[in-house]
Amino acid sequence: MTAALEIAGLFKAFGEKVAVDHVDLTVPQGSFYGLVGQNGAGKTTTLAMAVGLLRPDSGGARIFGADVWSDPDTAKALVGVLPDGLAMPERLTGREVLTYLGLLRGLSKDVVAERAGELLEVLELDSAENTLVIEYSTGMRKKIGLATALLHAPRLLVLDEPFEAVDPVSATTIKGILRGFVAGGGSVVLSSHVMALVEQLCDHVGVIDEGRVAAAGTLEEVRGSGSLEDAFVELVGASGAGAKELTWLSR
Amino acid sequence: MAVALTMAAMKVAVLRNSMNSQKAGLVVAGAVLGLILAGGTIAVAFVGDPNAGSVTGWHTGDLLAAAYAVWMLGWIFGPVFIGGGDETLRPEYFTLVGLRPRRLAFGLLTASFIGVAPAVSLVALAALVVFGVRVGSAVPVLIALPAVLLSLVVFVLLSRVATAVMGLALRSRVGAIAAGLSNGVILAALGQGWVFFVAFQQVGGIPPTASAILRYLPSGWGLIAVEAAAEGALPRAAAALAAMCLLIVLLLGAWAALLTRRTSAARPSVRGRRPMTAASAQGAVVAKELRTWTRDLVRNHQLTFALAYAVFFTSCMLFMGMNGLLPYTGAVFILMAGAMSANLYGTDGTVLWLTLMTPGASEVRGRQWAWLLTVGPVGLALTVAGAAITGGPWPLPLALTAALLGGAAGIVPLISVYALVPGIDPHRRGGNPLRSSEDDGSLTGLAYAVIGLGGLTGVPAGLVASSYGWPGVAVGIATGALCVWGLGALAESRLGSHGPELLQTMRTGKRAQSASARWKKFDDLPKRDQIIATVGWSLGAIPLFPQGIVAGVQKANGTTEKSWFLALHVPDPWGWPVVVFMVLLGIAMYGGALWVSYRPRPKEEAVAAAAT
Repeated sequence: MTAALEIAGLFKAFGEKVAVDHVDLTVPQGSFYGLVGQNGAGKTTTLAMAVGLLRPDSGGARIFGADVWSDPDTAKALVGVLPDGLAMPERLTGREVLTYLGLLRGLSKDVVAERAGELLEVLELDSAENTLVIEYSTGMRKKIGLATALLHAPRLLVLDEPFEAVDPVSATTIKGILRGFVAGGGSVVLSSHVMALVEQLCDHVGVIDEGRVAAAGTLEEVRGSGSLEDAFVELVGASGAGAKELTWLSR
Repeated sequence: MAVALTMAAMKVAVLRNSMNSQKAGLVVAGAVLGLILAGGTIAVAFVGDPNAGSVTGWHTGDLLAAAYAVWMLGWIFGPVFIGGGDETLRPEYFTLVGLRPRRLAFGLLTASFIGVAPAVSLVALAALVVFGVRVGSAVPVLIALPAVLLSLVVFVLLSRVATAVMGLALRSRVGAIAAGLSNGVILAALGQGWVFFVAFQQVGGIPPTASAILRYLPSGWGLIAVEAAAEGALPRAAAALAAMCLLIVLLLGAWAALLTRRTSAARPSVRGRRPMTAASAQGAVVAKELRTWTRDLVRNHQLTFALAYAVFFTSCMLFMGMNGLLPYTGAVFILMAGAMSANLYGTDGTVLWLTLMTPGASEVRGRQWAWLLTVGPVGLALTVAGAAITGGPWPLPLALTAALLGGAAGIVPLISVYALVPGIDPHRRGGNPLRSSEDDGSLTGLAYAVIGLGGLTGVPAGLVASSYGWPGVAVGIATGALCVWGLGALAESRLGSHGPELLQTMRTGKRAQSASARWKKFDDLPKRDQIIATVGWSLGAIPLFPQGIVAGVQKANGTTEKSWFLALHVPDPWGWPVVVFMVLLGIAMYGGALWVSYRPRPKEEAVAAAAT
């Protein structure tokens, strides 16, 4: 079976600094894949290259067999993306953003209206009907971003830090949506540095450290007998034990 | 005072850390230009009749008052035009420190004096001391010294208060439109200032009313003090100085109050929204853009600015009893609106990712339609109204309107994808809505490029219309349509081929690496070469064109008006050598800049450069 996402030999350097160093990852169809790593490890850069938002220096990515760079129309129709911290059409309301994007994706007007209404309701954005996106809180921005990723019913979701700054109630809602999506045969890749969350949601894990894949496989393979957090700290070689204390903070 | 000194030290640190060679070059270039203007102001103090009143003619005091009024207007409106003014230290940085508003304002004010612009202005204000020496004894000079310093504080404070008021005005539609109107009128007045001088020349000097008004402006108070001291009216001199102190206290209080308003959040809008009725991908882009044009207060401001600028620019000729420019109001408006929207993709920021994820959605075409729908009707209405008022001519204005509309609608998207200036994403802009980019210089350059290139697209239609009349309109429509179609297609293909690079530029604020190996990327140049390149590119035009070629032409024509042409000021045998020297200097500056950017390098090095 073709992989939902296949990343082969991705390499990217910014000047002297190598951000992503020959990363290979395979996301099987129907899997819930967690990409973990420290800040600056190369998660965002890898995902941006995987979906065609950043041109790699070498290597490539295929979405359900369609090459992101040579066959972008097919590849990009199959994927929904939630990037971290990028702008939206700021002067539109949530419903208008979805209408605009649905039409750009080639959906019919009626289908767009129906899906937009449902997404806004499920993500609890319908109460802010007249609020422009620029006035949204960080959590609301994440939710409207997720809605844009889901709108065209993709078969693969690539989500960069989807739970950052999202309140617990909304997080539960989003988790429910994502689980349902995977249960229905969809595939999800998400990046996070919250190990507990990845452990709770994902069945596959990739650990990125300094631009390289430190470990990849099913959750059980990667974490072994301990917790994912222990395995992660061991893999990236950071000394979690014996953390220094701030002497002036304790009385 | 401790707070003020800390903030000043902080600003020095920020400036030092952000100072790369490109910035250093720009700072040097800006300082040189500023010093030329300041030198011109000091020169003004040497010319004319220093004694006020009695006879008609050019009085030094009047000229200085006019010069300082221009400096003050520059301080007030400069930030509006180049994007928000000096924001090295932002009040938002200090919200959690818990400073009282006045201390915050005082600290930020102190930090404001660190920079090139205040130093240059100080040099210009030193002309007051020169004037004091010319009009008499030690007393005017003694009065001039505090007057210089107080004037500088007034300038800086006026600038900060004006920027803060603008920031607040841009939170409401009424405010944005009002600000656009007044800014447009004043900048047009500055641009058309020669009209007033021509008018004054006819009456032989600045008329008493005008010279009185110029002195009543805060920029003239220092002059009043010096003149009063020269006449021996010390109480009047002291009163003028005291008035400046009072103004400073008031402005500081006003600024402190405005700062607290700025750091508090804006209220979200809850107005009803008209539903989106588009049914196609292109329609969706048009709908999105039209909504942005009406809802984004910065864009509201830009459009009203262009409108006010155009109307005042053409109608101020009425002061001289000429109405011949009125039919071209529409053309001026279209060019100005184009210049204002030059960084079309940059101002929207990283939202480009959505375009990249939906290939084939004719994004550029949608934006062109929206631009034409926004600017076109107003431009056409201005042209028709102007031509109707003056009773013609009709063909030339209409031909230009059609050609420029299409030209600008083609050039704006094209230039914004080829020369993208990375901006600050709209949701990260903070308390100063005017500040859409950290790179003011490039934004200004882009605006001028649109005016220049856009103007060129009007040439064919203009030539045909002025020779043959109505066929020119057909030519205008044809070239306009061709520009919209052709330049739009170029922009579309560039967006397709370089989309990820453009997005990366916007994410990081840095331009992607150039592919050519012979052209060295600016950032890769050694520091010395970067400074040479920046100074050469930005200042080379001054010796080459005005001081060299134009001065030469003037000299050949035997013009007696010396203006600021050095070659016309030097005694006769030296005039032509100066012209030749200036032309050579200009060519050398451009040549030097070109040489350091593009030098023939050995093949291996070029290949190595391409590989990295």
